[in-house]
Amino acid sequence: MGSSFHTAIFCDKSSKITFRLLFAQTEIHTYSVFLFYGSMTRIPLAGSQGKYDYDLLVIGGGSGGLACSKEGECIVLCVTGTKWGLGGTCVNVGCIPKKLMHQAALLGTAVKDAKKYGWQIPDTISHDWPTMAEAVQNHVKSLNWGHRVQLQDKKVKYMNLKGSLVDEHTVRGLSKAGKETVLTAKNIVIATGGRPKYPTNIPGAAEHGITNVALECAGFLKGIGLDTTVMVRSIALRGFDQQMASLVTDYMEAHGTRFAWKSVPNRVDKLSSGALQVTWTDTQTGSEHKDTFDSVLWAVGRAPETKALGLDKLGVQLNKETGKIVVGPDESTSVPNIYAFGDIGEGRPELTPTAIKAGKLLAHRLAGQSTELMNYDNVPTTVFTPLEYSCVGLSEEEAEKRHGKDGIEIYHAFYKPLEFTVAERDASQCYIKVVCEQGGNGKILGLHFTGPNAGEVAQGFAMGFQCGATYSHLIQTVGIHPTCAEEVVKVHITKRSGLDATVTGCS
Amino acid sequence: SLSAEKPHVPFFFCGTKTEALHWSARPRSRPAPTEEARSTASVASSCYSTSLQSTTTRVSFLSPSRSLPRALPHTSRREVSFNVQDSEDFTERVINSELPVLVDFHAQWCGPCKILGPRLEKAVAKQKGRVAMAKVDIDDHTDLAIEYGVSAVPTVIAMRGGDVVDHFVGIKDDDELDSFVSKVIGQ
Repeated sequence: MGSSFHTAIFCDKSSKITFRLLFAQTEIHTYSVFLFYGSMTRIPLAGSQGKYDYDLLVIGGGSGGLACSKEGECIVLCVTGTKWGLGGTCVNVGCIPKKLMHQAALLGTAVKDAKKYGWQIPDTISHDWPTMAEAVQNHVKSLNWGHRVQLQDKKVKYMNLKGSLVDEHTVRGLSKAGKETVLTAKNIVIATGGRPKYPTNIPGAAEHGITNVALECAGFLKGIGLDTTVMVRSIALRGFDQQMASLVTDYMEAHGTRFAWKSVPNRVDKLSSGALQVTWTDTQTGSEHKDTFDSVLWAVGRAPETKALGLDKLGVQLNKETGKIVVGPDESTSVPNIYAFGDIGEGRPELTPTAIKAGKLLAHRLAGQSTELMNYDNVPTTVFTPLEYSCVGLSEEEAEKRHGKDGIEIYHAFYKPLEFTVAERDASQCYIKVVCEQGGNGKILGLHFTGPNAGEVAQGFAMGFQCGATYSHLIQTVGIHPTCAEEVVKVHITKRSGLDATVTGCS
Repeated sequence: SLSAEKPHVPFFFCGTKTEALHWSARPRSRPAPTEEARSTASVASSCYSTSLQSTTTRVSFLSPSRSLPRALPHTSRREVSFNVQDSEDFTERVINSELPVLVDFHAQWCGPCKILGPRLEKAVAKQKGRVAMAKVDIDDHTDLAIEYGVSAVPTVIAMRGGDVVDHFVGIKDDDELDSFVSKVIGQ
């Protein structure tokens, strides 16, 4: 492992891509260790004083680990063994740079649209990768620093060591120089997240679908002018509503991203020219194909580096397929005083907000301040592809599985954002789907939206969802005009009716 | 966009740089940060990540401990403006400096820092050797920056005889800098 690249995207030979600027992380181990030091200031913590160095030790300095440690009431010791600055995957190579680059691509589209709105813009505009990369990295570094300051403000002591478990109460921290520090704690929390998976042998690589990461990356790379091809072994956006997933990929295909569907890579060879030649098989036809690219990125999933943590020695139960730690609803593992949460937890959403919330609640529980568990239901999410897709609740497939086709009513609509009209943009994939329970007030089971600013649109609806909103609540809500979001409260055509669901006019 | 937080007043920690941080209860009769210092640290003039909540404003001025006097006589360094190399360098050239020293805490990723830097150099140069300027990159010298309670950048700390005598956060214009520097020298 310890890979350099994050996404399986093949770029055209004519493109110049210096992806290394952002994704070349050659380090392997990135662990942060936080420790709560018992009873120095306020509430005496539940548990032992004096038997262990610390009441609580958190390994991991990303979204989850930081939130958990900052929530500590007492002096907290933080230890990291990473080349990244503080903030984990999200800040350094995930959500933050992703969204910024997505924005860069959107701005490119906006500049082209601007001509139709009267702006005098030259016919050809180009994008300068180094400028964007520097700007993104500057922001990431400012966040790294900000987290460092926050730890300081919350009285978290910070050390730079790579942590691994020696036994259920002991962690060994290794400095960059190789110096060892041994720390003991009553409770240990693992929040080390995941790292990109690198296909170990390309022929017959492990079965993985394309995740949102790959599509998002392909999306903004194409958006800034690089020719991009996405190779998909089976389906896109596994786990998401498949109708919505196909709208997302349809949009990308219509806008120039190439897809090699149902294909698997066989080998990647480096040519004398320096370009990479990829050989793959179309599993539907059995035919083999070859093409050359400047860069090859793998986005075949992420997995935790549990081996380096020493979990196998301790008997911490892992899921054999994913390598993630099996956790209970209170983030407990198979070993009594060891907890795990965030990306490393099996079955947990790989999202920053859930990791942060879970971390805070865990810290409170371990300090004996509350018994509240993390609620992983009703978590809204957004895929930041060129056409953004956001959702909260169940997919149509899942709702059908749970309630039966006759147990649900699906309202939907194809709409056109007003901004697209003057810009003469194609809105064929702008779509809303509200999956409700059949009968009664029609409790909303799932809400799906593709369109501009999908994340912003869905956040408010997620709150309604959390409150148990029904279809009747939805249609009682007055829309804000003119917006795309108002179309959500206006859905009235059911899938069952078979009628044309295209919105016309303002009614 | 930059966070709309209140001007941050750095909180200074005591203790030698090599030890674990601990709190010192050594109050000094030093001026509290002036209203001027607070008001100039406006939103647009300093860098701070938007994902952070504002920190509380604390006002104590605890000065850093002095290190032992140098055993060897030092060759007098004539550089008026220099980059701090490490904590020993900081001790020697800032804490133990005979001149008052302005410490410019800055970062590569900070836009306003790139504006303030040259202005500060100009203000220091005007004083023709009566004040020195030490530049500290907070990513290279994180521990030092944290020890001096740097939060937002740019943060400039004025030191005289090893004690912090004044500071400001954010950008100042040339006139404001000139008066700040004059005050530090004691004119």
